Amino acid sequence: MDISSVQKLCIHLISSAYQRCRLSEDLCRLSVVLESTQATPIIRVSISDTGTGSCLEEFQDLKYNREGIGTEKWGKWMVMVCISDNKIYHYHLNLRESVSSRMLTRLPSIPKNDAKFRQVPHGTEVCLSISDTIDALHTEIKCFFRKMLILMIPVSSTATLMPYNLYAEHMVQILSPFTYLIQHFILTLTFDRVGFFFKCVAAELVIKQEDSPGLLCENVFLPNECSPLNFSSSNVERLKSGLEEYVLKHGNILNNKCDSCFSSREQLKLSSGVACSMESQRGPGLIVEAVIAISELAESPCFRSCRNRTEVLHFKDFSPCSVPVASLGALTSIDWRSYGLTLRGVVDQADQALIEWESLPPDLRIDMAIHCYRKHKHQPDRHLIKKAVKLALDDFKGKYSGFLLSAHAVKVCSYAPDLASSIAGMILSSNDSEFQSKCASLLGLMQPQEIGRQTVEDRIKGMIISVIETNDRKPEKNKEAAPLLFEDDHPQDPEPIPHSEDYEGGDDVFSFSD
Amino acid sequence: MEGIRSNACSRDLLRKIKEFTLSILEDLSEGRSPLIFIPRFRIYCTNFDSNCCSCNKPNGHEILTFQKESHVHRIDVLLRVLLIVQQLLQENKHASKRDIYYMHPLVFSDQTVVDRAINDICILLQCSRHNLNVVSVGNGLVMGWLRFFEAERKFDCIKSPNTAHTIPVLVEDVKDLVSVAHYILIVEKESVFQRLANDKFCSKNRCIVITGRGYPDVSTRRFLRLLVDKLCLPVYCLVDCDPYGFDILATYRFGSMQMAYDAKFLRVPQIQWLGAFPSDSENYNLPQQCLLPLTLEDKRRTEAMLQRCYLHQEVPGWRSELELMLQRGTKFEIEALSVHSLSFLSEVYIPSAAACQTSATPKLPIKMSIVGSLFSPLSPPSFLTSLSLHFLLFLSSNQRQSPQLSPLS
Repeated sequence: MDISSVQKLCIHLISSAYQRCRLSEDLCRLSVVLESTQATPIIRVSISDTGTGSCLEEFQDLKYNREGIGTEKWGKWMVMVCISDNKIYHYHLNLRESVSSRMLTRLPSIPKNDAKFRQVPHGTEVCLSISDTIDALHTEIKCFFRKMLILMIPVSSTATLMPYNLYAEHMVQILSPFTYLIQHFILTLTFDRVGFFFKCVAAELVIKQEDSPGLLCENVFLPNECSPLNFSSSNVERLKSGLEEYVLKHGNILNNKCDSCFSSREQLKLSSGVACSMESQRGPGLIVEAVIAISELAESPCFRSCRNRTEVLHFKDFSPCSVPVASLGALTSIDWRSYGLTLRGVVDQADQALIEWESLPPDLRIDMAIHCYRKHKHQPDRHLIKKAVKLALDDFKGKYSGFLLSAHAVKVCSYAPDLASSIAGMILSSNDSEFQSKCASLLGLMQPQEIGRQTVEDRIKGMIISVIETNDRKPEKNKEAAPLLFEDDHPQDPEPIPHSEDYEGGDDVFSFSD
Repeated sequence: MEGIRSNACSRDLLRKIKEFTLSILEDLSEGRSPLIFIPRFRIYCTNFDSNCCSCNKPNGHEILTFQKESHVHRIDVLLRVLLIVQQLLQENKHASKRDIYYMHPLVFSDQTVVDRAINDICILLQCSRHNLNVVSVGNGLVMGWLRFFEAERKFDCIKSPNTAHTIPVLVEDVKDLVSVAHYILIVEKESVFQRLANDKFCSKNRCIVITGRGYPDVSTRRFLRLLVDKLCLPVYCLVDCDPYGFDILATYRFGSMQMAYDAKFLRVPQIQWLGAFPSDSENYNLPQQCLLPLTLEDKRRTEAMLQRCYLHQEVPGWRSELELMLQRGTKFEIEALSVHSLSFLSEVYIPSAAACQTSATPKLPIKMSIVGSLFSPLSPPSFLTSLSLHFLLFLSSNQRQSPQLSPLS
């Protein structure tokens, strides 16, 4: 892992802690504490988790860009405390050592007190000192946690449901190894829901200043307990639910959904797509999940500045990641026009891709999340990303009538009123009442003359639009047959010729394009 | 398609329109895009196999769906025109194509769009255009030894055989057709028609002269077909010696691709090509300045026409003349023959060309000379009684029973 800044180093360590929690089979806690004094610009960073035991290689494999960061930005040592089944291990990691085998120093271990640590079979705490502004680090970590919430990570596939009152008690118990945090956690962790709470990763970010009494700032990050997920929900369902919360809370900045923008949940529509590559000898199968959220915000003051742009959040192996090149290629190569969208460009903004649209309807906002993962390390695959996004777009089209229609379908739909008017005219101007009755029956109406022309027209128009939309949802290869079924499609004598206004004859006016 | 009695035909067409409407609604109600199958016809191809295009059957279909925008626009136009047609048939009224165009000029954008929709409807309903009560503004002219009624209007050309009359639009309403003519002469251009009128050609030759003023419209072709069917007269055609003239000649004889679906009611297979031929420039000593070089476009068109199967199969002689024009690389208009004298066309060229037509086949009687000797100079029309008209008509019908093969056909 290449680390190019102290902020990225911290995020990486937090992400690793998150993954340990994810792999645990129990409810987990992740705590990040930033401690500073007014006397020095040094920030003490402590990252502790109750996830599975850590692997020493993940620390030894860290590669620092020393030139980019500067050794003065961090302290020499990083301290690690690892709790195993029966012991507590201490390590020192020399951050200024260039040879990885010499980086780690094992200090004397302490026997584990089984009674006291019974709720926490494993755990890790990493401490280091860095020189940075606490505000910058705070912002970066908060942003990370907000994105992590999108994944709605369950603890593991074997997790069980637990009544929420037990959950709270459980959380208190597991915090015991890191006692200096417990009081703050209990103060802020509140539940207003009676019932079952699905085991998850509870994360908190605490900022302490030794010179000031109490806390300066504290954030608790928990997946939304109101989401309709259960323990068997798939990762893509979690991603979908997570993106929904993310959008409703304006990037998880708000505690609750923005009522001024989303007076109704109907204003936010979501779809998802999953693309998988088969497992092979070359490696395990890669899974790419894509979720698309489209908000209809007629008069939203919150999104005024985001028009014509879409933020595409990227995740890799259950953690936010920078935008892979493959993803930029995939997003660029999608035929957006078949979904009624015109791409102006895709911009890589380090931690997210920004899609810029040509003339997106002003009341629409599109958000997107892409998650690539598999058991082992991998590179994101452009083809799979493209496929997943396309599947999500198709899913959206299928679920929401009138949305993401291709430009072509929109044009075809524009003929529907005229077509309906002509057909209604042929029905209503007929002097054959039996024929009119048959038509009314097919339209699911009473006698058309009793209903009125407008109703008949509207009914026919609705049917025509429905057919066009259905056809637009079909994959290209399944769309209707080729329009020309000729032995020879071209006029044999295509030469143009001037002809009179009412000319009926010569072959030369047979200049129709088909 | 032709000849279906008006009321029965209208009822039948209205039934078909209702069936068509119901089929669209059935598709829509079941969530399917309507598929409108429009058979496609052709009058020729570039295969030279026998009977390739002679059976008058469609050679494929166009399928209009809601899939393509161009198709939906076409369906939109088709339905709009069909609604108008339905009303015309129900109310037993007629409208011209131009009338229909001006009902939705912004949607139709061009007359050809309406023309195409009308053709599509004719194919869908398996009828001719006039059955839809859609007519065109008459463009053709006629003069000569002919009298007929259209509705209540009398066209007495015999009274003044050198006066041009417009060809009636509602050809199906033409009744009481009588003629003492012995042949029908088609001329491509109005200028030639006027030349013959000025030269009192019909006073000197007992014939009917028709012009479609360029490419003939449907009314002109249907009227010509009616004359040929009813009067059983030989038909000659005089066109410019250029690719356009030849194409007009082919349109009269074989029909047009645009209205291929109705070609069997519009074509006149009896037509013989009277001129002008490429060799006429030598035979009649046309000065070099009257001969124009074929343009690249002329050559391209000529080469394309040479590929038409019907020239191979039915009129190889015509094809040889066309090849000769291409080889020589020159063209000329009929008016070029007036270089010798203004009346050269009526006094020399047409009689001699007609004589050539007949004398070139020694086995056949020299029809034109017989006609000329028997009926020229003509008796004043006023002397002709109804009885004598019928007698002459009978005579001309009997004469036609002799084989009338042109050496060129």
